[in-house]
Amino acid sequence: MRKKIIEMRGIVKTYYQGTPNELEILHGIDLDVYEGEFLSIVGASGSGKSTLMNILGALDRPTKGHYYLDHLPMENVKDDGLSQIRNKKIGFVFQTFNLIPRSTALKNVALPMLYGGVPRSERSRRAADLLQLVEMSGRSHHRPNELSGGQKQRVAIARAMANDPAIILADEPTGALDSHTGRLVMDIFHRLHQEQGKTIILITHNAELAEETERTIRLRDGSIVDNRRNNQYQLGGYYESV
Amino acid sequence: MNLFENIRLALEGLRANKMRALLTMLGIIIGIASVMAISTLGSAMTGSVTKTMDKIGGKNIMVSLSPKNYDTQSTLQEDDLITQEELDAFRNTYSDQIKAISFSTGMGSGQLNSGFIHKDVSITGASPDYGLVNNVNLVQGRFISNRDMDGNRNVIIIDTTLRNNLVGVDGDVIGKEVQVDTKSTNETYTVIGVYEKMVIDNPLFYMGDDTRVECFIPITTAKSLNPDTANTVGYESFTIMATSNTDSAAFAQTTKDYFIKGMSPLSDFTIEAQSLEAIASEATGMLGTLSLGISVIAGISLLVGGIGVMNIMLVSVTERTKEIGIRKALGARNSAIRSQFIIEAMIICLIGGIIGVGLGSVLGITGSTLMKFPSTPPIGPMIIALCFSMAIGVFFGFYPANKAAKLDPIDALRYE
Ligand SMILES: Nc1ncnc2c1ncn2[C@@H]1O[C@H](COP(=O)(O)OP(=O)(O)OP(=O)(O)O)[C@@H](O)[C@H]1O
Ligand SMILES: [Mg+2]
Repeated sequence: MRKKIIEMRGIVKTYYQGTPNELEILHGIDLDVYEGEFLSIVGASGSGKSTLMNILGALDRPTKGHYYLDHLPMENVKDDGLSQIRNKKIGFVFQTFNLIPRSTALKNVALPMLYGGVPRSERSRRAADLLQLVEMSGRSHHRPNELSGGQKQRVAIARAMANDPAIILADEPTGALDSHTGRLVMDIFHRLHQEQGKTIILITHNAELAEETERTIRLRDGSIVDNRRNNQYQLGGYYESV
Repeated sequence: MNLFENIRLALEGLRANKMRALLTMLGIIIGIASVMAISTLGSAMTGSVTKTMDKIGGKNIMVSLSPKNYDTQSTLQEDDLITQEELDAFRNTYSDQIKAISFSTGMGSGQLNSGFIHKDVSITGASPDYGLVNNVNLVQGRFISNRDMDGNRNVIIIDTTLRNNLVGVDGDVIGKEVQVDTKSTNETYTVIGVYEKMVIDNPLFYMGDDTRVECFIPITTAKSLNPDTANTVGYESFTIMATSNTDSAAFAQTTKDYFIKGMSPLSDFTIEAQSLEAIASEATGMLGTLSLGISVIAGISLLVGGIGVMNIMLVSVTERTKEIGIRKALGARNSAIRSQFIIEAMIICLIGGIIGVGLGSVLGITGSTLMKFPSTPPIGPMIIALCFSMAIGVFFGFYPANKAAKLDPIDALRYE
């Protein structure tokens, strides 16, 4: 039996709470994710995928409901604790890369380690290793504006891996890339999943890419309307034991 | 996140906007530079005043009889003069505050002749303590003794230039007889000592260019030569040397009060007592007013500079909203963001402070050199200026930094 790494019960997110234009975006989401799973979240634009992702990533707090990350009830964690959880347990990959423009690729990758208190020499060494992993060693001293979109996203993935997090959250990581470059990025995720056993949650609009993951969740207007294992994982695999 | 990492981050941030950072620093630079310039100049001035004071006797109090009314012609009466008995009583009363008392009287100028050599000199009748009180630097022989005084002896102390004229640099002048002609007398004196003339290179103490050589003879001899004073037994002026731990300004007042009590209320004369320190502090007080004025200007420019730093930090926080969001998403705590921006503000101010200290020191040294005060930039104000500029950074950087720290990570990330 696999370890449950994420458990969400009745998650509600409401914007403008208590005002006339109160807006409920997520309507009681229940979601379990197991360690080592590769999960995709799909749904129309505005269905609440990013909102859910922000809560999963401890960037935001739900208005109602319970979220246990690694069995830790997140409602009891203070802001500094959330920072620490983001730093140690979660790696973010964004659609628009979100690299720091003034810093080189190497420094960008080292940044989470800086906030995690890793000593300087160790940071550079590990950042260099991670850039090698995403085949970006040759560009480690380039700034983001000297890199192509695909290269930036590879640097961003290396950065997400910096503190060896258990979970990688990727919000449309291929959305700004052409299909060929998107393919390369997707391959990196598969490698991290298979070789390093990372739990990966991927938001995508691309049905084919979603199909490659083990399980797909479909959101519609803030509710989960579908939660199914994908074809190639139907038989065998660990889902039989879940 | 340690301090070193924060400094690194802040420098990275500043390097991206060099020109802007420099312009922001301008107010700080001007403020710190003016503080630094004025304190360099001030310390040079007070330093040289103190040095000069030590040289000419900072603890001296000059006491003299002076007319109550300068408009009417007043003549000094025999019983106005301060007698030796009165002085002895005074000295006993304040023995712990008085180191020495000296008397002197100007005899006017005259000519000193020896063989073919004729030199213009001014003659001062002096008491034995005169040498101590006025820091006469004797290089050969001795000063006037009590026995010289008692015997109204014709002995004289000359200065080194005169000695050089008479017998050359290596010559022995002690015991040599010289002739001194003044308005009323011409007498033969025996040289008993040679002193070196004091050089006062302080423009605040400029006393006129007296090229005449001052020679000292016993005050009793001087008095006996002057028909007006030959038979009097008192003094109309004297100099008190106070002990080093005495407040000489206060003691001047005490002295004045003491001797006024002993004077007849009907006398045309009164006692004036003035300490050299008081005279010098008038000179430095003027500087104090000047530096107060400059400090106000400096304060205003530091305030404006500080507000400028705050403004630029607010701009920087807004510009870097997205970056702040990214940092937070990657696990930066609020405190890490806050210290990053505070340290950035501090570094702007510190660099401004360093430039200001450098500029101010150069200005101060140039200024004091032009005014002929030897000077070094004072270390104390330098350190204070640097600490103060960092404090400005903390003070004016706190609000923008706190604003950055409190940004909601998602709002910051969504910021375009
Ligand atoms: N900070 C906010 N304040 C108010 N409404 C918000 C806020 N953030 C998101 N929303 C709203 O929540 C809804 C869901 O937004 P979300 O970004 O989660 O959608 P999404 O599924 O990620 O869409 P997309 O595929 O276009 O990225 C939208 O209607 C959006 O307008
Ligand atoms: Mg989205």
